[in-house]
Amino acid sequence: MKVRFRIRRFDPLHQAEPYWQAYSVEVKEGMTVLEALLKISEDDDPTLSFRRSCRSAICGSCAMTINGFPRLACSTQVLPQYRKKGEMTVEPLSNHQVIKDLAVDMTPFWNRMEKVSPYLAPKEEPKDGWVIRKEDAAAIDSAQKCIMCGSCNAVCDSLEADPNFIGPAASVKAWRLVGDVREGMKKKRLERLSEGHGVWDCVRCVHCTEYCPKDVRPLEAIERLRAKAIEKKVVDNHGAKHTLALVDSVKRVGRLDEAAMTFKTLGFLRSLGMIPLGLKMEMHGKLPHLIIFPAIDGIKEVRKIYSAVERRKKKKE
Amino acid sequence: MVIHDVVVVGAGLAGMRAAIEAARAGLNVAAVSKVHPVRSHSVAAQGGINAAIKEADSWEDHAFDTVKGSDYLGDQDAIEVLCREAPSDIMELERMGAVFSRDDAGRIAQRPFGGADYPRTCYLADRTGHGLVHLLYEQLIKHGVYLYDEWHVVSLVTHDNSVRGVIALELTTGKLHRLHSRAVIIATGGYGRVFNTSTNAITSTGDGMALALRAGAPLMDMEFVQFHPTTLKRTGILMTEGARGEGGYLINSAGERFMKAYAPSKLELASRDVVSRAEQKEIDAGRGVDGCVLLDMRHLGKDRIAERLPQIRDLAINFAGVDPVIAPVPIKPGAHYSMGGIMTDVDGKTPVEGLFAAGECACVSVHGANRLGGNSLLETIVFGRRAGKAAAGSCIKGRGLRDFPDPALADAASAIASILNRTEGESAHRLIAGAREAMEEHCWIFRTREGLEGGLKKIRKLRERYGRVALTDRSDCFNTELLTALEAGYILEISEAMLMGALARTESRGSHFRLDFPARNDKEWLRHTLVYREGKGCRMDYKDVRITRFTPAERKY
Ligand SMILES: Cc1cc2nc3c(=O)[nH]c(=O)nc-3n(C[C@H](O)[C@H](O)[C@H](O)COP(=O)(O)OP(=O)(O)OC[C@H]3O[C@@H](n4cnc5c(N)ncnc54)[C@H](O)[C@@H]3O)c2cc1C
Ligand code: SF4
Ligand code: SF4
Ligand code: FES
Repeated sequence: MKVRFRIRRFDPLHQAEPYWQAYSVEVKEGMTVLEALLKISEDDDPTLSFRRSCRSAICGSCAMTINGFPRLACSTQVLPQYRKKGEMTVEPLSNHQVIKDLAVDMTPFWNRMEKVSPYLAPKEEPKDGWVIRKEDAAAIDSAQKCIMCGSCNAVCDSLEADPNFIGPAASVKAWRLVGDVREGMKKKRLERLSEGHGVWDCVRCVHCTEYCPKDVRPLEAIERLRAKAIEKKVVDNHGAKHTLALVDSVKRVGRLDEAAMTFKTLGFLRSLGMIPLGLKMEMHGKLPHLIIFPAIDGIKEVRKIYSAVERRKKKKE
Repeated sequence: MVIHDVVVVGAGLAGMRAAIEAARAGLNVAAVSKVHPVRSHSVAAQGGINAAIKEADSWEDHAFDTVKGSDYLGDQDAIEVLCREAPSDIMELERMGAVFSRDDAGRIAQRPFGGADYPRTCYLADRTGHGLVHLLYEQLIKHGVYLYDEWHVVSLVTHDNSVRGVIALELTTGKLHRLHSRAVIIATGGYGRVFNTSTNAITSTGDGMALALRAGAPLMDMEFVQFHPTTLKRTGILMTEGARGEGGYLINSAGERFMKAYAPSKLELASRDVVSRAEQKEIDAGRGVDGCVLLDMRHLGKDRIAERLPQIRDLAINFAGVDPVIAPVPIKPGAHYSMGGIMTDVDGKTPVEGLFAAGECACVSVHGANRLGGNSLLETIVFGRRAGKAAAGSCIKGRGLRDFPDPALADAASAIASILNRTEGESAHRLIAGAREAMEEHCWIFRTREGLEGGLKKIRKLRERYGRVALTDRSDCFNTELLTALEAGYILEISEAMLMGALARTESRGSHFRLDFPARNDKEWLRHTLVYREGKGCRMDYKDVRITRFTPAERKY
């Protein structure tokens, strides 16, 4: 079947703007987008640039935006996509600078990776070698599946707003280390990860988990890092304080007590600075009850849940 | 021009391991790679890495299995090094942070692999290579190795048979750079992409071997290519041997486990050359299914497949449209591993002074005529480490920085300019397609004199046409067509060396099977084939196999 591909092309050094170019490709059942691109570059237009290597979804070279979403070209079949959308559009990954056509600059990606000191800093090894139980290995198994394709960073809301954010991919690497029973610098890592632009800056849009082609679930890694940070008492930062305040607020009144939470997250002096914003929000009707926070009706039930969780935690320890 | 003590060309497992070792010796080390390290072909290795780490096993047994698997062409002193040093290298990988799959006691688990008499293959589920590549990339950062990624090495610079550095093309700018160094280690991987049906990454085009050949180093045993018995039909994507190691069957169109007829005791786990030939015979005899035989894993059950072979299941579903839990997967033999390569000693040294090689691009030779599954990842680690250490040692012992010959850069630049400036000529893609077709027709699983001669003629014609290769893409930024043109040159040179070796070797041994000489002939051929570059062509020579403890015997599985 002949399938029309619209590919977004750009050579930033020589062209002012990106443009779309259409190609028609004879596609057979089972053919992947990567095969189609190879066919275009071999038979039709060798000037089309894109990365490729393993062609089996393991090297992470070929992530690009296909019909609007980040995907690996080598593991995306053309026909099912085409049938759904009626056409094939191929663009470079978003949130990344284009080098040429579909190849984007991955330098910021690697730099973020290096920022988390991505190598094990082991504790002293037991005399007769490490025993790693299956459960221990399982905790970091999904993090170990990451192929560093960059799809998650391409759709991350926080990263789009703050280029200094550590991002989902590097967070996965961080969890792979913090979650390792042999790691000796857990607390230090968690302290660094809890600083500004760190794991607390994720806004939990879930895009990373939704679009990761290897089911790595970066958001889960971020949540585990946050939980571990609190467990290790790395709480002298806004993110952890905010979470603790939230837990406390729900326990007390069964809902969010925004004013008290601001106070607990930012401390007294900084909270003063938030008053104008609070008043503005109040004026626009965004803060329903600024002053009085009655407990909700079912507060007893809520507290029961808390005690159950506490009991379970004790048992585990 | 940049200066480093050691420059490593290639950042797959062998290259990274070598770089790390040289950096540990306190030297200034750079790794140059045409793709980012984690995109290297090594990342695709699935099944595992061998080491005799259990009480009941021994390195001697591992060595024997390897020698036997090599059809006695492997050099036994090198194999001893490989097997003896394997356990400590595995332990070191764990110490660096690898998490090998565990047994119930929390120790490293091992699975059976073809041609081995003991389950000695350590693994990380079915993504062993991926786990190790990411691990060594971490260590590369830790050890402060300079990385030039997406730099394509276009020539090895030598003078008076001594290496001076390399010249590399930076993909994003099209610029040529000189990297001046005291030692160079080549670790560019194999030549699986000389064929169409191949399990190898698109990047495995034998670059380093061709460059070494041009620089005066000999290539050894190039006729030996491993054909893997289980690759997917259309794409050649690999179904790991682990699938059979975990208990998968091979069946023909009549539903018979046909390996009973070919290897009654080892069955599906006979060595790869044996299984691949058996499959091809079944297919040729009309007992195949649409040009394939079937890999049946259904009896393993969903849980075991999910635990041990999750990636295999995904690959089969995504790339062949078959769920192995429900149906058998159609598979056929495909080119998989390059036993041949740059001749080295056990420290990775080549006959060119200061030039080392390790990994799949090297031929030590530990695989001889047929490699055992799980031994090549091991080779990248053991001999990568040794080459790194030896290269560093040579610098420390006094190998200084020698002059970088002036014309080298200009020569490389004019070679590339002549391709870029040619307005009309041959398409690089066509030339590669022609070479692959010829190699698949004439240098595949079953070979004959007429076939090989025909292949050689075709390849030499293609090499002539290569002199007129021309491009459509003339840009200096991310010009992948230019890389393809360079790779076409490597592929053609490698193909010629392979065909010459295959034609000369009038016997059948391991992966090399001559229909006109179907028996092994130890009297004349217990020796390695060497190919040297001479002018535009090649010259052949031979070298005896080193035998230490295992006397050659017939190979039965
Ligand atoms: C699908 C598959 C599965 C496998 N499974 C197993 C297994 O389970 N167990 C096992 O033991 N073996 C396995 N193997 C074999 C094993 O993976 C390889 O032999 C091994 O990974 C080779 O590693 P290497 O470091 O030598 O080369 P590679 O990993 O191929 O790396 C080559 C490097 O060289 C670079 N390079 C190449 N040319 C140039 C150039 N011109 N300039 C600059 N850089 C260049 C590349 O960028 C790359 O970084 C498998 C192979 C395949 C194909
Ligand atoms: S969930 Fe967090 S890390 Fe993931 S994409 Fe959204 S903001 Fe980014
Ligand atoms: S987490 Fe997933 S999407 Fe992100 S880099 Fe890793 S594999 Fe790609
Ligand atoms: S080519 Fe390797 S992930 Fe697509």
